[in-house]
Amino acid sequence: MLEVRDLRVCYGAAPALWGVSLAIHAGELVCVVGPNGAGKTTLINAVAGLQPSSAGRLTMDGRDMTAVAPHRFCSTGIAIVPEGRRLFTRMTVRENLEVGSYLRAARKERARSLEYVCTLFPPVRDKLNMAAGSLSGGQQQMVAIGRALMARPRLLLLDEPSLGLSPAMVLVMFRAICEVHAAGTAVLLVEQNVAMALDIADRAYLLEEGRIVAEGAPDDVFNSPDLRRAYLGIVAEK
Amino acid sequence: MSGVFIGSLYGLLGLGIGLSWGLLHIINLAHFGFAFLAAYLCYQLASVGGMDPLLTLALIIPLFFLLGVAVQWLLARFAVTPLNSLLATFGLTAIIEAGIQAGWTADFRKLESVYAGQKFRIGELFIPVPELLTLSLALALSFGIWAAMRYTDLGRAMRALAEDAPVAAAFGINRRAHGLMLAGICGALAGVAGVCLALSFTLTPSQIYAWVGVVFAAVMLGGLGSALGPLTAGIVIGVSEAVTMAFTSPSWAPIVSFTLLIALLLLRPGRT
Amino acid sequence: MALGVVPFLHLPAFYESFLYLVLHWIVLATSWNILSGYSGYFSFGHGAFYGTGVYTTAVLAGKYDVPFLWTLPAAALLAALIGVAIGAVVFRVRSVRGEVFALLTLAVTFVLATIVLNTPIDGGPGIYLSAVSVPALAPTASGTFYVMALILAVVTLMIARWIPQARLGVGLFAIHDDEDAAEVMGVPTYRYKLVALGISCALAGVAGGIQALFVSYVTANSTFNITVPLTVILMSVLGGTRHWAGPALGATAITLLLYASTAADQPVAGKAVSGAILLAAVLFMPNGILELLRAKFARHRLPIAMPSMPAAPQATMPASRINAGATSVTSNPQVSLGQGSAASPELPMANADQQIPAIVHVGAVLLTVRALRKSFKGVHALDGVDLDVHAGEILGLIGPNGSGKSTLINVVSGHYRADSGSVRFLGHELADLPAHRIAGAGIARTYQVPRPFPHLTVRDNVALTAMFGPARLVRSAADKVAMQWLAFTGLRSRADEMPTDLNLHQTKFLELARALASRPRLLMLDEVLSGLTPAEIDEAVALILRIRDQGTTIILVEHVMRVVTALSDRVVVLDQGRVLAHGKVSDIMARNDVAIAYLGVPHA
Repeated sequence: MLEVRDLRVCYGAAPALWGVSLAIHAGELVCVVGPNGAGKTTLINAVAGLQPSSAGRLTMDGRDMTAVAPHRFCSTGIAIVPEGRRLFTRMTVRENLEVGSYLRAARKERARSLEYVCTLFPPVRDKLNMAAGSLSGGQQQMVAIGRALMARPRLLLLDEPSLGLSPAMVLVMFRAICEVHAAGTAVLLVEQNVAMALDIADRAYLLEEGRIVAEGAPDDVFNSPDLRRAYLGIVAEK
Repeated sequence: MSGVFIGSLYGLLGLGIGLSWGLLHIINLAHFGFAFLAAYLCYQLASVGGMDPLLTLALIIPLFFLLGVAVQWLLARFAVTPLNSLLATFGLTAIIEAGIQAGWTADFRKLESVYAGQKFRIGELFIPVPELLTLSLALALSFGIWAAMRYTDLGRAMRALAEDAPVAAAFGINRRAHGLMLAGICGALAGVAGVCLALSFTLTPSQIYAWVGVVFAAVMLGGLGSALGPLTAGIVIGVSEAVTMAFTSPSWAPIVSFTLLIALLLLRPGRT
Repeated sequence: MALGVVPFLHLPAFYESFLYLVLHWIVLATSWNILSGYSGYFSFGHGAFYGTGVYTTAVLAGKYDVPFLWTLPAAALLAALIGVAIGAVVFRVRSVRGEVFALLTLAVTFVLATIVLNTPIDGGPGIYLSAVSVPALAPTASGTFYVMALILAVVTLMIARWIPQARLGVGLFAIHDDEDAAEVMGVPTYRYKLVALGISCALAGVAGGIQALFVSYVTANSTFNITVPLTVILMSVLGGTRHWAGPALGATAITLLLYASTAADQPVAGKAVSGAILLAAVLFMPNGILELLRAKFARHRLPIAMPSMPAAPQATMPASRINAGATSVTSNPQVSLGQGSAASPELPMANADQQIPAIVHVGAVLLTVRALRKSFKGVHALDGVDLDVHAGEILGLIGPNGSGKSTLINVVSGHYRADSGSVRFLGHELADLPAHRIAGAGIARTYQVPRPFPHLTVRDNVALTAMFGPARLVRSAADKVAMQWLAFTGLRSRADEMPTDLNLHQTKFLELARALASRPRLLMLDEVLSGLTPAEIDEAVALILRIRDQGTTIILVEHVMRVVTALSDRVVVLDQGRVLAHGKVSDIMARNDVAIAYLGVPHA
């Protein structure tokens, strides 16, 4: 469904991605792990259209997205849960969710999508009329995921959904992600909680210093010496 | 009572300024220039052309919508910062002022409309019709825009864009088109405010700047990007000015709004 | 000065008056620029300070018969006092920047106008000064005004020209570019803004005083209006706000334009044209005429000048370059320390400067952090951190994303204020000091995302910390030191370029050179290596080791683990705002809880 080929992204003169290639098939849960500063957020933002790329190709269903305006990405079925959630804090929870379903196709399904989100995250239902900025971190993350789901995406992009959350709340997020995935939505997950992310993924990529250094089945990536070296700086003896 | 009326005019002028500042990050000084241009147009059409002043709105609203769009297009093309938008629109205001002066001279102009002498009676109060018109237009527009911001997808999209444009775009909202649209609405609001000005005030080009301070005070007091805020704040300021005038000399009046503005700017927590 | 003989040429009074007006606007625009142009705080309140001058003279000379010339110092003093009083309040509030400052100063103008209008200062009818005698400095009255304005303009321009070369100007330019970073680099931002405002107001006050007599009848409405601030902004923006001569150039051009349009009986057209000029200037050349010319000039000259520079290409001969740098640097501390202790009596720790090598032995505790807490919106970024940094070590500070590493650096450097806890450096409590005092005490840092001052050259960026850090060098010495550190980091050939011309690797090294030029005792490196290529990383590692060898203690925040392993004597692992572990790298990374912090727990 989504194909990224030799993607290069630069901030000013500084390259953040040095030619990354990856593919996501319909309904697949793909996980990208890697230490901080490896370029994970840059990658996911480029896929969402938030970050223009400087070279390479990005195709969705065979359609070239490289020169497409940022606001057209959503209509191809891509929705993002950005790093740090980035809710519209001065708007209510309900309004945030409604902005998620801004496009015509999603708007038609709005009532049903809202019900789905509230079922997925029951605490959201009680907070619909509260300002999004007043929620706790975990609840905000729920709204951020909910907002993306309101767009009825075929590919959900998740950037560090567990960041800053308590272990119990992290578990809630991962259960929800599994449920969304089980319902048939493809997911691209960028995570710092490597073990948990690899546990639920179908396939995984390891990103280090702007390059893909390993890819394949989650277990293989988890046990690869590359991962230990990238994160811990040492080759762990097995 | 006259405080309420003048306050509603502050609010009406502030509505467009506040929306533009809060949602587009453009501090549009030319809003005042537009309002005066509209006032003069209204004067021209009504006094010379013999049109009903209210009917001129049908012409003025679309015209100033387009003007607003044009200015926004220019400013967005050069991606100006808020501070530079203030400077650039000041330049624009000077051009408009000169244009008005060239077209209508610097003499005082007063629209003598059918509404001028009419009074509307509520119990023991007699309210001049132009004041009543201004008040009701300000109320209707403020509440209308408030409702649109809250209950329509368009309004919510505008607010989302103002807070985090990239994320809003990721959900399919076209930043450029919405910016032009909102600027057009602000332009149209300036047009309406101009007609209200023409109905009640004697016009002269240099008066453009007389409104700047107090209207900005209303905008800051009411909250940037808020639809009801400027009107509420405008009326508060208008009434407090009227009260100040009643107790001291009229010339003390500005101190209320400006002291309020200073206090607000200093105490306002957080960012712009 | 050829201009000085003008009054004795017996020109028609008309010309002298016109020249007076040009000079008058030059003074107003240039004085405005001293605060607003240099530091970026655009004031819309210049009319208030000008008006203070107008009314000081009008009241003293018109109502109390004080000789006119005596009223001018009073005008300057009162305008400066009012300005500084306002600044003392306004500059304390962090959110008052940019457009908020502009509106606030505008509001001040109207408040002042209302007070003047409604109190016996004016009272409403205005003040006549026609009875005040004009001092005879020239054969005619208009000649006298010309001479007074000329003297004032020369003084103003000299001040405006002196400031950018002085410590004050360098600080103001840094405030313009990035005020928070400037403070962290040691610039006393609050004090500098006040001083600039005071100078600016005093000059405007004198100009107002002269103008009061020139027009001989003053009213509140014609004095305190929006035209004065907007005209001076127009003039300065047009001419260029970063150069001392820019506002003068703009003032001359605009006054000529308005004069020409009045003479041609087209004052309205003149107003429209000046409006159009402002619009066009903001959109097409936001840096003003002078910058535009300078850029053109520089482009023509550059190809010729380049080859004559001692070019030291990046990748070649690094060894010899670093050696050369190192020798020059070792001779450097004596210079800086000697001058530092003499020049900075106000710094509490200045004396320690000379004594560090003696009292702080390698291995002794340099920095002590105890129970440090900092929360953002209920998230505990630092949740009771305790750690010690020993003199002479490289301490690796690591931990997963969001564990509080950058927050710790930001709190220690004074960028953020801690909620509670203590940070002691050489036995002195830092937690409540403003950031520039912390820099002065000998703590320097780099930013994770480099924050060079974009409008200062590479050399000036580095010289800035040499001037404002603990060394407190004078400008010329700082320039020399800056070149040594640029040589040390391999940027010598780029000294006269702007930071925006550098690539990421060079920008990071610029950050490093900038931090080093202050001769810090403690250097905090916040991810200096992220985004670099492996070859660049190796180069940087060698550089960091060299820095430590010169006696600087280093806290290293880093994610590239092989670097942490290669460099750190000790590591501290932060997790969720607390210290999870500390000790030797190999021991720490083998621990299970550290691995879990990094890799997470598998789904149970």
